Amino acid sequence: MKSQDLIALFKQVAKEVDKRDFQELTGDSVISDLGIDSLSMMQIVGEMELKLDIMIPDEDLVELVTVKDLLAVVERRMERS
Amino acid sequence: METRLALRMYQEYTTFFQKAERERRWNPFDDIPWDKVNKDASEELALCAETFCGVEMYLPDYVAGGINVVRKSFGQAWFQANWAYEESKHALALTEYLLRSGKRSDEQMVDFQNKIFDKKWELPFHTPREMTLYGVIQEMATFVIYLKQRDRAHTEQCEALHKIYDLIARDEIAHCRFYQTVVKVLMEEDREGTLADLAHVFAKFEMPGVKLVPDYDGRVEVMRSAGIDRSVFLQKVYFPILKYLGITRHELLLAGRKPRPLHVIEGAPALHGHGNGAPEARRAL
Repeated sequence: MKSQDLIALFKQVAKEVDKRDFQELTGDSVISDLGIDSLSMMQIVGEMELKLDIMIPDEDLVELVTVKDLLAVVERRMERS
Repeated sequence: METRLALRMYQEYTTFFQKAERERRWNPFDDIPWDKVNKDASEELALCAETFCGVEMYLPDYVAGGINVVRKSFGQAWFQANWAYEESKHALALTEYLLRSGKRSDEQMVDFQNKIFDKKWELPFHTPREMTLYGVIQEMATFVIYLKQRDRAHTEQCEALHKIYDLIARDEIAHCRFYQTVVKVLMEEDREGTLADLAHVFAKFEMPGVKLVPDYDGRVEVMRSAGIDRSVFLQKVYFPILKYLGITRHELLLAGRKPRPLHVIEGAPALHGHGNGAPEARRAL
């Protein structure tokens, strides 16, 4: 899956979880600036994991700042699975 | 309440209470080194103390709402009564700090109290189980926040405030452990329903009282550094709670996807169901 596809997936899942559009979102977007709090973020990550059939260790989720940070973690897990 | 469940709750409460009586009782007037208040500590430290004091001062609302939700369970209702006693010392100790440090005058504190009591905290959830789950998250988050404040008081060389936060934090984690124990009992009774409620409570969670405190917007910037960020919340609150309860993130996610019973959606209070009439709540973290 390409980076653009992952961003599209993130936007779709974030919209489902937060009931808002994230059209302007890019890889460099800071997650907290998007108004996504830690609990919504866990829902978004969980939904992405289920859709992509991966499991990200909890410790990889605590230092995420930008969307790109998350997508990098996702890509690493996809490569391993 | 079923006899077996009532007995478990009673047993858990007596275990909690005995430990509290033996190991955790403290007196705001005798156990704080009041001669070691640093009057030169920063105004930011005092503002944080005042804000947390304000949050603690919604105690009448917390008690009135919380105890009635669980009044049919001896163990849980008596816990709420004991909880109220312990929490009452928190606002008292912080008030004494603000006065004895000279950071606030008597008149300022009364004015602050009046503004606090002009607003009312509303119960965010309406079933015993949801409120217990809310208690787990809120007490754990509060514990983490007070530990941070304790360290800050130490940095500013205020031994009195350091001791206050130390004692308060110890109370908060004890309360959290009781709620967690109750949740484990509830999970033995109905794991699926408890997980669904936990997913719901996490989704709607916000810290109590904070936005009700007077001049909240003006305090936000200072409070930001006093609070806990995303990383700390996940590491110190969210993941530890799931681990302690033996729940995975995916389990919680799947539980949250299931439709909630009709009476829940309509918001009718249900004492032993999954009901919730909570308004859409903004989260704090």
